[in-house]
Amino acid sequence: MRQIGWNWLGILPFFAFALLFLVLPTMNIVIGAFQNPQGQFTFDNLAGLTSPRIVSSFAISIKVSLASALLGCLIGFAMAAAVVMGGVPGWIKAPLMTFSGVASNFAGVPLAFAFIATLGRVGLVTMLLRQWFGINIYALGFNLLSFWGLTLTYLFFQIPLMILIITPALEGLKREWREAAEVLGASTGQYWRMVALPILFPSLLGTFALLFANSFGAVATAYALTGSSLSIVPIMLFAQIRGDVLQDPHLGYAMAFGMIVVTGLANLAYVIMRTRAERWMR
Amino acid sequence: MKRVWSWAALILGGLYFLLPLIGTIEFSLRMRRGEYSLDAYRSVLSDANFRATFSYSVVMALLTIVLGVLIVVPTAYWVRLRLPRLRPVIEFITLLPLVIPAIVVVFGYIRLYNTSSVLPLTGTASGTNLLLLCGYATLALPYMYRAVDTGLSTLDVRSLTEAAQSLGAGWTRIIGRLILPNVLGAVMSGAFLSFAIVIGEFTMAALLNRPAFGPYMQLLGANRAYEPAALAVIAFAVTWGCMGVMQLISRLFGTRIPAK
Amino acid sequence: MSFLTLDHLQKSFGTTRVVHGFDLSVEKGEFVSFLGPSGCGKTTVLRMVAGFETPSAGRVVIDGQDVTRARPNQRRIGMVFQSYALFPNLTVAENVGFGLKVGGVPRAERAGRVTEMLELIGLPDLGGRYPWQLSGGQQQRVALARALAPRPRVLLLDEPLSALDAKIRVSLRNQIREIQQQLGITTIFVTHDQEEALSISDRIVVMHKGVADQIGTPAQIYNQPATDFVAGFVGTLNRFAAEVLDPARGIVRVEGAEIALDRPLSLGGVTLAARPESLRIAEHGIPAEITGVEFLGSVQRLRARVGGQEVVLDRFNEPGAALPQPGVRVHLTAPPSGWLVLGE
Repeated sequence: MRQIGWNWLGILPFFAFALLFLVLPTMNIVIGAFQNPQGQFTFDNLAGLTSPRIVSSFAISIKVSLASALLGCLIGFAMAAAVVMGGVPGWIKAPLMTFSGVASNFAGVPLAFAFIATLGRVGLVTMLLRQWFGINIYALGFNLLSFWGLTLTYLFFQIPLMILIITPALEGLKREWREAAEVLGASTGQYWRMVALPILFPSLLGTFALLFANSFGAVATAYALTGSSLSIVPIMLFAQIRGDVLQDPHLGYAMAFGMIVVTGLANLAYVIMRTRAERWMR
Repeated sequence: MKRVWSWAALILGGLYFLLPLIGTIEFSLRMRRGEYSLDAYRSVLSDANFRATFSYSVVMALLTIVLGVLIVVPTAYWVRLRLPRLRPVIEFITLLPLVIPAIVVVFGYIRLYNTSSVLPLTGTASGTNLLLLCGYATLALPYMYRAVDTGLSTLDVRSLTEAAQSLGAGWTRIIGRLILPNVLGAVMSGAFLSFAIVIGEFTMAALLNRPAFGPYMQLLGANRAYEPAALAVIAFAVTWGCMGVMQLISRLFGTRIPAK
Repeated sequence: MSFLTLDHLQKSFGTTRVVHGFDLSVEKGEFVSFLGPSGCGKTTVLRMVAGFETPSAGRVVIDGQDVTRARPNQRRIGMVFQSYALFPNLTVAENVGFGLKVGGVPRAERAGRVTEMLELIGLPDLGGRYPWQLSGGQQQRVALARALAPRPRVLLLDEPLSALDAKIRVSLRNQIREIQQQLGITTIFVTHDQEEALSISDRIVVMHKGVADQIGTPAQIYNQPATDFVAGFVGTLNRFAAEVLDPARGIVRVEGAEIALDRPLSLGGVTLAARPESLRIAEHGIPAEITGVEFLGSVQRLRARVGGQEVVLDRFNEPGAALPQPGVRVHLTAPPSGWLVLGE
């Protein structure tokens, strides 16, 4: 018994730290979501989440996250597949992976600046399109400070993240599987439909969940890009924490709780899918 | 045919990634009307606030790394040595910061450590700094832990420890002289990743009202036209530098880079 | 008319030519092994038969049909890989039925054939398992069933036993041979293990540097190696430098001892060789000193020094006789048919 006690002591600092700066603060918010200002238990705060303003902010947040995760997955997959099995020279892989490592961490305020400088009203691409081709994308309805603008910006870290995660999975597809399928009479399409995609599916879906959570919780990029003109959930929460714009602090807790639920579900899906993927990949 | 599609995917993707970089650089040089100049950079670098916030964030990043190493290395080591059954639990906890958005965590800090609480950290500047530091260490936890744990997995921790004990080494000596040097490559790659994350962090610093580089950039972005582009180029260069050094180190030490 | 014909196959990767003009005719139902060290081109030839590599020159003809340019999925060939290559996302039954499914075989017929195949390989109850739940030997048997299920014209086995441990390797190779004979399927088996090739083949092709050095039955390959390489690669061989004394009667001198070979030679120096089981201890012959004795049960393996080199001698155990002791000086000889003449 004594030995066990001493062993526990070794990880006490870690648990203390995690408790104080991760678990308790989060619990506090979760509990706050179920309390009224007098400290009594209530579902009113969660009911308050159904107000049109908050529902629409969750809706647009989820839409942006879904779109950027889906496009990130598709484009990242295409690029990773091109490198792994597309017959391009082998030296391309290393720089692409390095760049992906950098770009997947290049989120936040500077990323917003980069896109403003590129696709803003006087950005480089906006100007060039107008000068060279006479296309005024803003006259055509494009706006960087919108759903599509935000999605396009998020893709800058979503695609690299997908490339980083899916490249090893693609490399895990053994050449012999393809050859075995071929020699058994399968066409390329049949191989992908019956073997390769089912094997990759858990990784794909899992990565999708991760990308979703990744963009759902992002504050800085959106805030620096749009100020508070696009009311996605993290920005609304940010404004609420700074100035109680909802005029009800406990509604803020409920919103934060809603965020945890959404990202938690996305990550739960990720964990489940990854476990399945690894079972096959042995 | 396959090759054509591959090149198309890579070139279109490459264009998407290159254009914003070129756009930002071009924009940052446009400050002087009619010609390219480094005026925007000059303006940024001569700004006292830039220097103050940038050095504040650098110091915070370095402290985050120290705090992260102090928390993660002994824990990961101890779990591998004595409490292997707890590994899934520890791993789960270290992954939590990826699940719980930073804004929620810092919201919790503000509630839990306000001036009327038991531990009124937000009451003083140094207390808030400490809180921000802990917040940053939390953000870095998933990357740090995975890097160190991967590094430890290449060692036979138990045999190394027993060998050292049989030679009469104490715990501080074992961790400081034996384990740490052996996982140095992993620690360094975790450290540079943490640095890249912390240096431009916005949400926590802004909500805790600390004069960090992230909020400074955001403020400048709201008020100026060309300087933000220059800042973005600088921030990108710092990120590149960190990741570049990290890749170099992991290649030198032969450890795997933890994919984010 | 042979069933499978490889007509002067060549393959180059870039500027390196890995297979030089390779000719082979395989009869229907024959079991032919490609034997050689790694890098000898045996796998490349196999992959050209399968269609994974396109020959730089030459033709592949199966059952009178030129398939040199046909895609692998049109050749009706079965293949078993060294790494099993079972599809991890499919059950054993689904793996075995894969070729039938993509071939458009109706479900009911497919199920019947899968059951039949699983019984053939002796794993009738494992249809619902996933590959990772099976042992290596079981996985390779399932891979064999998968390859055979669509009734291929030719079965290709690419080092199928190399990833398994020794005991399973022997039992599985016997099982492969049994199934092959039962179905009468034309088979090519690639291996670097001479014992494997000798034990199960109708014929063996010994390959070396992209060329077929010798094609023959296991007995021919072992007893009458056509080249120096074949002699050295298949089995253990003791070599002796010899000087020809009488070319017409085939008398040579080795280490001062005269040996009669009963076959005409040309004048000069040759290398004589003998298998360990051909050498024996006699009154007269090549002087040698015993350096080591290994008792292997049914066989005694003696090591002896002849001149500056060591030779190996195998003889059957004789319960009555004592083992020679190291240090003893003896004379070695072999019957005329036991001597191989190399590098004449």
